[in-house]
Amino acid sequence: MKVKIKQWSGVASWLWVANDENCGICRMSFNGCCPDCKVPGDDCPLVWGQCSHCFHMHCILKWLNSQQVQQQCPMCRQEWKFKE
Amino acid sequence: MNSRQSVVVPRELPAAWDAVTAALVSPMSSAAQSEESLSHAIALLCSQGLGQCVEGWLLETMQVRLTSAVAPEFWAGLEQPENELEERDRARVLLQAFRTLLARLEPFLGSQILGVDEGGGPVRRGDPRAEGEGLSVTRAILLFSPSAVLQDRVLEFYSRTLAVHMSREGRAATGGGEAAPGPDRGLCPGCATPQRCWCQEALEELQELSHILSRLQLLERVSAEAVTSILHRLVAQRMESRCRGEYEISFLSDFQEWLERVLGWLSRVFVSEAGGPCAGAERGIMADGPGSGGVGRGMMEGAGKASPGGGGGGSVLQRWRCHMQQFFCRIYVNMRIEELFSIIRDFPDSTPAIEDLRFCLERTNQRQQLLTSLKSAFETRLLHPGVHTSDIITVYISAIKALRELDPSMVILQVACQPIRKYLRTREDTVRQIVASLTGDAEGCSDLANELSRADPVTLETQDSEDEGSDPEEWTPDPTDALTDKTGSKRRSSDIISLLVSIYGSKEIFIDEYRTVLADRLLHQLNYNTAREIRNVELLKLRFGESHMHYCEVMLKDVADSRRINTNIREEEARLPEEEQPPLALSAMILSSEFWPPLKEEKMELPPVVCQAMEAYTHRYEKLKAMRTLSWKPHLGSVTLDIELGDRTLTNLSVSPIHAAIILHFQDKSSWSLEELSGVLGVPQEVVRRKLALWQQQGVLREDAGGRYSVLETGALRERPERGVLLIDSDEEGDSNTTTQSEQREEKLQLFWAYIQAMLTNLESMTLERIHSMLRMFGATGPVLTEMDVSELQAFLERKVRDHQLIVSAGVYRLPKSNH
Repeated sequence: MKVKIKQWSGVASWLWVANDENCGICRMSFNGCCPDCKVPGDDCPLVWGQCSHCFHMHCILKWLNSQQVQQQCPMCRQEWKFKE
Repeated sequence: MNSRQSVVVPRELPAAWDAVTAALVSPMSSAAQSEESLSHAIALLCSQGLGQCVEGWLLETMQVRLTSAVAPEFWAGLEQPENELEERDRARVLLQAFRTLLARLEPFLGSQILGVDEGGGPVRRGDPRAEGEGLSVTRAILLFSPSAVLQDRVLEFYSRTLAVHMSREGRAATGGGEAAPGPDRGLCPGCATPQRCWCQEALEELQELSHILSRLQLLERVSAEAVTSILHRLVAQRMESRCRGEYEISFLSDFQEWLERVLGWLSRVFVSEAGGPCAGAERGIMADGPGSGGVGRGMMEGAGKASPGGGGGGSVLQRWRCHMQQFFCRIYVNMRIEELFSIIRDFPDSTPAIEDLRFCLERTNQRQQLLTSLKSAFETRLLHPGVHTSDIITVYISAIKALRELDPSMVILQVACQPIRKYLRTREDTVRQIVASLTGDAEGCSDLANELSRADPVTLETQDSEDEGSDPEEWTPDPTDALTDKTGSKRRSSDIISLLVSIYGSKEIFIDEYRTVLADRLLHQLNYNTAREIRNVELLKLRFGESHMHYCEVMLKDVADSRRINTNIREEEARLPEEEQPPLALSAMILSSEFWPPLKEEKMELPPVVCQAMEAYTHRYEKLKAMRTLSWKPHLGSVTLDIELGDRTLTNLSVSPIHAAIILHFQDKSSWSLEELSGVLGVPQEVVRRKLALWQQQGVLREDAGGRYSVLETGALRERPERGVLLIDSDEEGDSNTTTQSEQREEKLQLFWAYIQAMLTNLESMTLERIHSMLRMFGATGPVLTEMDVSELQAFLERKVRDHQLIVSAGVYRLPKSNH
């Protein structure tokens, strides 16, 4: 017997490769989106800091904009630098 | 007074007295006396103040005569004939009896005795008072104990004349004209006698009888009962034969026409009371008949116009007309109430019946009866386990449509459908059925789908808000039978979708269910064609609001994105050299897990070739989308494959991944035991056995002795018809990819349990209401949280109490001490 697979349609769900489940700022799931967004994924990406913490991009930008003096990671208080 | 003034008694007085005495003692001979002298004598007596004496004497004499002679004679005359008389003769006898009666009473009532000169004595000719007294004496004595014979005869005679009249009218109406009532072929339609039609005769007799009766003021007494019973019987018969079971024609105008014809007959019966010629009254009625009869609505207005026949007769006829209309309405409503369930079931076709019923119901006080009967009809015919949920919903939708025609205030709808709503709440699949018909998936039930795509939808959001647009002048109070609920009349919506959605009191349940249905559809199709779903979601958005449909939009976007990603990855693969081409054409539906309903988690090991393909796919995806990866759901999806066997080929089989995995394993090794397969697939044996059934059915595998399965290379089972394409057998319970509503609920309750435990640990003890309100507060943030009502929570807590995880005393819940 020979089985010839013509087409295999599978189902998968995507997820962020992050070391946490939820965004530390908005507490929403990384796989969801930040409170301001409607659509997850490309439209509401994650960003990583050099301290290895990650957040929804919109969340951390909002946070950084609100910091007058020094821009720190809200989790570890190190100076925030985007990971390249 | 006169007597006191004249001291001398006139000489003529005794002579006058003698004359009157002679006339009274033997009225038969009075004719012999000159009428003049008699009236002269009476006038003399009256002028002497003896009028009252004479009158009293007269009445007394009349009474004696009636009791002793006239009444017995009348009854004897009526009963005298033997039973074998023909109907026609019976009618004649009846008339004869009344003729005699009139003849006997004429002297008393006539001018001879009570007539006086124009000089104006106290007793005047035709004095209504004196004559009235005389007649009431007659009525009292004659009809004190009426024999059944009279009633029967009158009834029979009237029925006959009505039949004659109707047949003539009918002939006139059909254009036959006033043909001579000859015995046309066989039976005459009027008098139903083979020869010697006596229609004309009957009508003449009727007229005479009416005159006699009205002269004696016996008309109402003798006829009313007979006429009433005849007409009632006729209306009921007509209704039975014409309307029962017939909902597609309006009967109001038909009845109106018929009624006008009957009134023509009535005008003959009550002709003399009309005081005018029979024909005149009749013509008047007929003239105003067709004008108002055209439309049912004119029915009652027609009653307002007096016929020109004459005041008295007009009012009698008006009374009868009103009576008949009232009666018609009542029995029509009675009949339709009985049939209302069927009318509702046939609704769009039965609109005329509903309109008639509405018209009649406004005129009778039978709403309560209708409600009770309809409710019990629903309960006995619809709300039992033998009826499919979709049928209940269909009837409910018809009921909404029909009853909003019947009662624009929606009260009947609201009250009568209460049991349906209550019952639907207890059915597990209600929501799914409603959602399925909303999206047009349910077969034979396109009502809801049409309703959904209707222009100008009622948004469910604005429904509770104050109706600012409506004019306060147009406000009408609720009928008295409205439910006294706090929501008030403005909440009584007639919108089918909002009514259905509100069965559960919350639209969240529906949206969740829709999401589940949508997920199922998308995962079953896997062809990335979402045009229909997009349309449905857009329509639902108009109803439920943007925010509620957000999740569904993300789901549809996932589908579109997946298609793009697939194309992208395909192109990339196509650029690879020949030997690096993947062994398997793999495409994927990539979901945003947070936005899809929870999918069934099943573990399954796929064959290495598939795993490799998936890994490669994941790899490419990761390259495409930085920092993201894929988590495959091995049991979901579909596979198209060909199987080449020793002597045959099965092409384009479309199966589920587990079926494909099984058959792939048989490619490497042609014989497997259930344990081995179960081990290599990581799936329980029972499931494997069920899945193997498909391949056995296809004649690809065979179960050998000892529980081993092997490939049938040469077709032993040729009788199985070969089919090109096979869909996945939904071989078991629903085969839904998503978890069921109740499973989800259970999960949610477990989540709540954690909250409850935490609350009780902190707050020691709480009442049911408190727990409920706290949970609502927490629950407000959860994305897929359905609203939970207090009773559901109570049931859940009681379960926990039974499991000794909770104690309750005096309505307060606390955690058992041992937990700490």
